[in-house]
Amino acid sequence: MRSYLKFLRRCAGVSLAGDWRYYAWIGTLALLCVVGLNAYAKQFAAGLEITGMSDQVSWGVYIANFTFLVGMAAAAVMLVIPVYIYKNEDLHDLVIFGELLAVAAILMCLAFVTVDLGRPDRFWHLIPVIGVFHFPGSMLSWDVLVLNGYLVLNVYICGYLLFCRYQNRKPSKWFYIPFVFTAIFWAISIHTVTAFLYVGLGGRPFWNSSIVGPRFLASAFTAGPAFVILALQVVRRASASAPGQPGGPNEREAAPPRRLMHRPATSADLDLLAAYLPELGSVSQEERRACLAGAIILDVAAGDVLLRQGSKDTDAFFVLKGRVIVRREESGRFRITRNIGPGEQFGEVSALAGTPRTATATAAEPSQVLCLPQESLRSLMRNPKMNEIITWRMGERLMISDRSLLILRAIVQVSMIINVFLLANEIFTEFYNSNLHDISWRYLVLGLHGHHALVPWFWTAVTLNIGAMVILMLPLSRRLKWLNVACVMCIFGIWIEKGMGLVIPGFIPTPLGEMVEYVPTLNETLVCVGIWAFGLLCFTIFLRMSVPILQGELSRANET
Amino acid sequence: MSFDTKDSGMTRRSFLRTSAALSAGVAAIAAGLAPLRKLGQYSSVDEFLQKYYKELTPEEMKAVLARIEDEVQRQYGIRPHVRDYKPMNGVEFVYALNLTRCVGCRKCVHACVAENNQSRNPEIQYIRVLKMPNDGTFDVDKGDHNYAPKSVPEAGSFYMPVQCHQCKNPPCVRVCPVKATWQEADGITVIDYNWCIGCRYCEAACPYYARRFNFTNPSIPPDQLNLNMSYLGNRPRRKGVMEKCHFCTQRTRAGRYPACVEVCPTGSRKFGNILDPDSEVSYILKNKRVYVLKAELGTLPRFFYYFDI
Repeated sequence: MRSYLKFLRRCAGVSLAGDWRYYAWIGTLALLCVVGLNAYAKQFAAGLEITGMSDQVSWGVYIANFTFLVGMAAAAVMLVIPVYIYKNEDLHDLVIFGELLAVAAILMCLAFVTVDLGRPDRFWHLIPVIGVFHFPGSMLSWDVLVLNGYLVLNVYICGYLLFCRYQNRKPSKWFYIPFVFTAIFWAISIHTVTAFLYVGLGGRPFWNSSIVGPRFLASAFTAGPAFVILALQVVRRASASAPGQPGGPNEREAAPPRRLMHRPATSADLDLLAAYLPELGSVSQEERRACLAGAIILDVAAGDVLLRQGSKDTDAFFVLKGRVIVRREESGRFRITRNIGPGEQFGEVSALAGTPRTATATAAEPSQVLCLPQESLRSLMRNPKMNEIITWRMGERLMISDRSLLILRAIVQVSMIINVFLLANEIFTEFYNSNLHDISWRYLVLGLHGHHALVPWFWTAVTLNIGAMVILMLPLSRRLKWLNVACVMCIFGIWIEKGMGLVIPGFIPTPLGEMVEYVPTLNETLVCVGIWAFGLLCFTIFLRMSVPILQGELSRANET
Repeated sequence: MSFDTKDSGMTRRSFLRTSAALSAGVAAIAAGLAPLRKLGQYSSVDEFLQKYYKELTPEEMKAVLARIEDEVQRQYGIRPHVRDYKPMNGVEFVYALNLTRCVGCRKCVHACVAENNQSRNPEIQYIRVLKMPNDGTFDVDKGDHNYAPKSVPEAGSFYMPVQCHQCKNPPCVRVCPVKATWQEADGITVIDYNWCIGCRYCEAACPYYARRFNFTNPSIPPDQLNLNMSYLGNRPRRKGVMEKCHFCTQRTRAGRYPACVEVCPTGSRKFGNILDPDSEVSYILKNKRVYVLKAELGTLPRFFYYFDI
């Protein structure tokens, strides 16, 4: 419990630390939050009169954003499914970013619903037991349940996994795998339930179509992973050191480890390691002796390079004292992938697989490192417990590789194709047999009785979506620049499609055929901006806390 | 970007910096919330804590009605008489509207506003009259909502007033997440204005455009206030809640006709108890050609249109 509080305190501390770009970013977001709060205070005092909504168009951009963001939240499963069902290794580390995005998105959803309420003071009427909860009759009560349930699930899963990583212990499967699988079904359900909010209304033919649910999922699985692709690149950039400076100013020329100051390792050194690595206790004396053959202890100064990316040596290392930084060069930039403290290993991938080094390891401070030849590591791993812990740690690396971004690209690509296909189905059904049902569609696509407010929105969305689909299908989107363009197009295209293109036209014309158009007011827009800023602020802070934990910079080992 | 992993004790400088940032933040939030000063009377503690209509004991209901009378007196300077009219046994109300006779004068619209204490600015109306072309259609898309000729009726048109159809299978009741709207034993769908959270889902669900939302505080000149009020009916509403036609519960549950029926100069509007075989509406349903709007939706309206021929 105490250690958990300390964990939270340190997370809070790190969320407030950063360079000027970080401060500028969160400062701007915080300012926009206050602007949004001010706009909401005006609305609270005056009533929803100061929005563009009316009795005819009784939901507007608030519910439109809500609908879009439920999709963003649900899209976290598109990272969870490949990792937990298909055991994809590339995305393994990135799942948690998807889940953190889900948490931020749900917080925004709850805010958008709240600002849409006419009587937010009566929110308690919705709470089961205290209030009167119309369950299972009202789809809105389902939405309240599934959204809050999804929030709790994701907060729990992220919190548990990050805390385990902080403590540098292996998470117990029983404590999170059942929840991860529940969350997969739950994610599908939140968006289906949100679709049913609309689909269930028989008096609104525009929504009352069974294809709306599948369309919601397809568009969510496009926009969500597209957003994750962009966010991951920001994380990668922010956690990279400046280009052209592989190791900082005080790095020395690389020297093979055995040329550095060293001495043969002794049993006492293994005891020191065992203090940080309790699994070593289960290794028999005989196995220890076998392991010590050929093992050496390196005493290194800050800046000494222990191994270099691309070289072909095969020693494995354990840090006994001090700190080692692992940097990886990717497309001309160096980024810190790990920050290793006492008891932790590095270099074992090449030792076990015989592949060239994937990164460069440099001592960050005067350190003592145990260097094991390939065979010694193998003999150590004959012990089942050691084998388990070393293998598990190998998997727990923060690696945002281009490969993982390209896997997400495949997901966005397929989802967008399905999304465009479903839209085409709907357009055909509505327009081939012209009848009274298609009147809102006519308004949206072509305009009706001289009213055209949504026509430009619709065609912008169609252009963005089809454009993104084409780019994603071409090989050029394997280049990050084009992939990013396509992702931005996806996000905006889907936002329009589900907001202005789905929520608003359902109301126009009214069930009595009246044409009243809707344009959000400035105040309403500012409230939306405020909520978006709030959500991005949450997501930024979540990332700011989790990245150092995943990289090992923030861990129990370096508590003071 | 460098990570500060050493969270040792706070230095004097970082303390000053943190407190400066904190106070700037608090000041910014306070400034942001400033518009709330214009809020005025929003909700009393009693009003905030008031229980759901169906859970109120008779004593609690009495206290609530007295409190509402106080509230109205404070706001309008006149003390009304607020009662909780209950449905009568053996009564199910039904409405019949003669499309042959209606001339589209909209007297019903305005009588309704006056009777039911609707906001005058902006004006909330429960009845919408459509001017339909006599060209072989009942398609509401062809209807004119804003006709304003010097005199009615106009040649080549007929008029179709639409208000709450008091459905037997009401979509609005089904979707309400807090059961703030329900169907009573006499067939009237009512709203507990003190329980509604203002999500407007019912408004999206209604196929007859019968529900209205208070986008701001309703304003009624005190001298135009109807002092005969019912809890589920025409008592003044507050900002942020739904309202709709309730067949004038304050009249019909006391044995009178709704205001729209009384005011209609052509006798197009008929109202009565369908469970009474001798009532006018029973006669009309048995002997006239009758249809309901959007029958295909399965809402089973209690509002019937009929023709003289």
